[in-house]
Amino acid sequence: MIERRDPPPSAPPVGRVVATEQKPATPHQFHFWTANETTIGIGAIVRVEEGRGAGEGGRVVYGVVTDGFAYSDLATPLHDVVGAEGDPAKAADSPTVRQEIRLWTAAVLRQTPEEPLQPVPLGQVHVATDVDVAQALRMDAYLGGAQPTAIPVGLYTSGGLEAPVYVDADFLLGPEAAHLNISGVSGLATKTSAVEFLLSSIFQHFPPHKGRVAAVCFNVKGPDLCFLDRPGALDDEDRRRYQRLGVAPEPFQRVRYYAPFKADGVNLNTLRTHPDLVGDVEPLVWGLREVLDYAEVLLNRDDIDAKADAFIDFLADRVVDKEFEDGFGGVHRVVTFADLERLFRSIFDGLELASRGGDSWRTHHIATIRKVRNRLANISTRCKGLVTDDGPSNDLPWGRFDDRAVYVVDVANVDPLGQDLVFARVVSQLRERLERRDLGVEAVVVFVDELNKYAPADGPETYVKKMLLDISERGRYLGLVLFAAEQFRSQVHRRVVGNAGTLVFGRMDADELATPGYQVLSPATKIKLATLPIGELMVRHPHFTQPIFVRFPRPAVLRGRDGVERYPPAADLPFEDAVVRQLVKLDRRVRPNQIKDVIADRREEDVRRALAHTRQTRPQDALAHFRKQLGGRVAAAPAAARESVPPLNPISDEPY
Amino acid sequence: MTASGSWVEAVVAAGAVPASHVPEASLGRSDLEEFTGADPVEDGELRVHPLDGTRPLAPAAVCFLDGIEQWRVVGYGRTTPIVRAHIAAAIRRRGWDRRLRTVAEAAEEVAITRLDRLPGAVRRALEAAGVRVLEFPAEDAEQPARAFAAARVEVQKARTALERRLAEGRLRVLATDEWLVVDGVLSDSAALSEHPRALGVVKSHGAQYFEGADLERALTLPDGHRTGVFRPRARGARRDIHSWYVRLWPWEGNDLLYGLLRLEARAHPDTLALAAPIAAWIRTERAPVATPDRRWDRLLYPIHDVETYLRARAPRDLTPLPASRLPRTAS
Repeated sequence: MIERRDPPPSAPPVGRVVATEQKPATPHQFHFWTANETTIGIGAIVRVEEGRGAGEGGRVVYGVVTDGFAYSDLATPLHDVVGAEGDPAKAADSPTVRQEIRLWTAAVLRQTPEEPLQPVPLGQVHVATDVDVAQALRMDAYLGGAQPTAIPVGLYTSGGLEAPVYVDADFLLGPEAAHLNISGVSGLATKTSAVEFLLSSIFQHFPPHKGRVAAVCFNVKGPDLCFLDRPGALDDEDRRRYQRLGVAPEPFQRVRYYAPFKADGVNLNTLRTHPDLVGDVEPLVWGLREVLDYAEVLLNRDDIDAKADAFIDFLADRVVDKEFEDGFGGVHRVVTFADLERLFRSIFDGLELASRGGDSWRTHHIATIRKVRNRLANISTRCKGLVTDDGPSNDLPWGRFDDRAVYVVDVANVDPLGQDLVFARVVSQLRERLERRDLGVEAVVVFVDELNKYAPADGPETYVKKMLLDISERGRYLGLVLFAAEQFRSQVHRRVVGNAGTLVFGRMDADELATPGYQVLSPATKIKLATLPIGELMVRHPHFTQPIFVRFPRPAVLRGRDGVERYPPAADLPFEDAVVRQLVKLDRRVRPNQIKDVIADRREEDVRRALAHTRQTRPQDALAHFRKQLGGRVAAAPAAARESVPPLNPISDEPY
Repeated sequence: MTASGSWVEAVVAAGAVPASHVPEASLGRSDLEEFTGADPVEDGELRVHPLDGTRPLAPAAVCFLDGIEQWRVVGYGRTTPIVRAHIAAAIRRRGWDRRLRTVAEAAEEVAITRLDRLPGAVRRALEAAGVRVLEFPAEDAEQPARAFAAARVEVQKARTALERRLAEGRLRVLATDEWLVVDGVLSDSAALSEHPRALGVVKSHGAQYFEGADLERALTLPDGHRTGVFRPRARGARRDIHSWYVRLWPWEGNDLLYGLLRLEARAHPDTLALAAPIAAWIRTERAPVATPDRRWDRLLYPIHDVETYLRARAPRDLTPLPASRLPRTAS
């Protein structure tokens, strides 16, 4: 997999290791000098050879440059002032340039032989070649062999040389380690682009022996992930990098989009509503059962008590989807929020009528019942469009996940409570299915942006945070892999970040770099991170003993901003037209006027329910099914004329 | 050059008593302290000329030559010291980019002693070691203190010979717009003293050429001035040369010799015309300051650079050690 584009083996050294009592060479760090004009820079990988050069059988050490120093033989700045007679302009006119040094500090990446571990020899320093980079980063362990597990992550570039850098699938996607965390400032760190490229690379290089893989991406802001199936603009340099990395520059072949409805229940709540694209977007609609299983998400810390919990469990176990007798003579079959609301009303009425002052029902206090009712009602109100009061749900294809498919769940415009619910339910389902091995794939990458929102370093212990912690700590055994991005890593829960096997950094904020989490980085590395150009990242991976800077090509998909310009979102359709569009999508034979005739004068909630059922059933004849679900039109009967009753015994005809 | 230390081990093995001593007398060059006299060339008497408004000479390239010497007593044959010396010289050229690069260098290790005063086995071992042996006069071999001084003279002679050889080699390839600046006098070499673009820069003033009012004018030369050109009277084998003083830094508040350089160039009418531009050029060489060398007020930075280069490449075991000289075994 390594393409050798090295300079000839006899390439002259670029530097020499030096060691003094003050700055000795150690087994983990060394110093070397170069000519003033050198291609070496922070992040460059170098090879040190013991003795006078290669072929002497001596120790070889690979290192990455972490700091650089330049100084002259000037004893004190005052002497420069004296020499220039106090005039800075004259200082530049001196006939001789002072002796200068470019002194570099490098951290050891690898030594061969590895034992005994010894200080770095005072040998010649060479620029690393492709093969050196593979050796230095210990990529040789997973690049070759019968079952290579290398996933291209970017190009290491230094001094005109460049070499592909690979991460180990076993350590990126499990089971040895897993998870990827990417940090960086908004707009400049290109976090989303990096994840898009890496997903593409994973899909193309995921080792066959590891099975099938899919990705679930939560689109939490704007149109970021709405056009993953559309080709983006690439320049020649991007294509060259793709070619060098062995990744085909093409958009994702299988992308499924899911978005909830808007409050009207018929227009999709996504920016991918252009007529050419909206047909690919599946509505994400959940009913009572889907919500009730994750009711804990809806409860804040004050709500979490044993009583509320017990009542929700009671509803889930004994009430929902069952024939249930309310104790006041009513029998209920609770399937939808509307059914549940009828049950609540029945309970409250029953308690009020049965005994004044009665405050318990089936051992549950009326206050607990009211609280749970309010919370559940709240979700159906705040997340109208995602949660349906009435009618069937529409969900991700659990058990039928496709290999190398991306499932985009667009919750960008959903209420934060709804986002939490979506996230909790989707990830829990993934976990359960992966545990049972019936998801359809063996590994799933879950991409979450704005991780500091879902798993903040401080703040309440929410259900979502606990779930993220659980994935971080145990997901690798299941094949549930978290790719998370955030602006400030220091604001994310330590255990979530700490369990990420692979850490990626884009351009960082200087204040963030001053936080304790970055103490291991040298000042020069921090400066480089704070000024990192777009398209360049620093990668930490279990096989790499030091962070490595890599460049990656722009993802071959349409960027969100460009996508919105090329495919402007359509305006919301009137109710009738939206229904038409959905039914036509299900059955091309249906004519719009037929549908409009059918739904004319019908209640919108009835239409929505029939539409949802049709969508879920996907019948051969969508219109017939829809019409059947809608039921017959009941004509309004005119009110019977009430006969007037003449007054009895008028008192008098007189006007007084 | 002999591999350092190998011949020392040979003579010690042959019976010489090992020693490790850097005599005080080896730490610097000696200046001649004598009055030789000079004849004014430019003016009737030694006069002072301001350099204000003088356009400095600006050669396209300049080569700077300097040499170093280091020595250490490494053994004794009876009471006769056996000295190991390292001499080296280099020329570093400054081109358009104002950076100095080595264009020529030479180094040699020599042994200095008096062979006929050594025990036979030691002598034979030394002669067979392949190192060049320089001998000091027989009369100086009797007393170690005199032997040290004599050894030092031999080392200096070897160094100046090496410098001269290097300089004369460079003169043969010197470009038409290139100068050779030598740390020291030109008059030791016929080739140097006759070359139109060779310049000697003398920063030690052991030899005095004037007395009375001329001496006062020379030694109290103001900053930014030069003296008129004069011809030092010949001493020994020295050739005819033109010379003049230039002051690099104000001496007031320091001492008379502070920042005072004496320049040497060929004895030729053209030198008279070039005396002022050359003096102005050398004044521009004040920067960069050649610190931390204690002679920085007179030491040109490029010369300092050549010396630094040579010391960086010199054997480490010849420099004086800061450690104490507590008794140690001779094994």
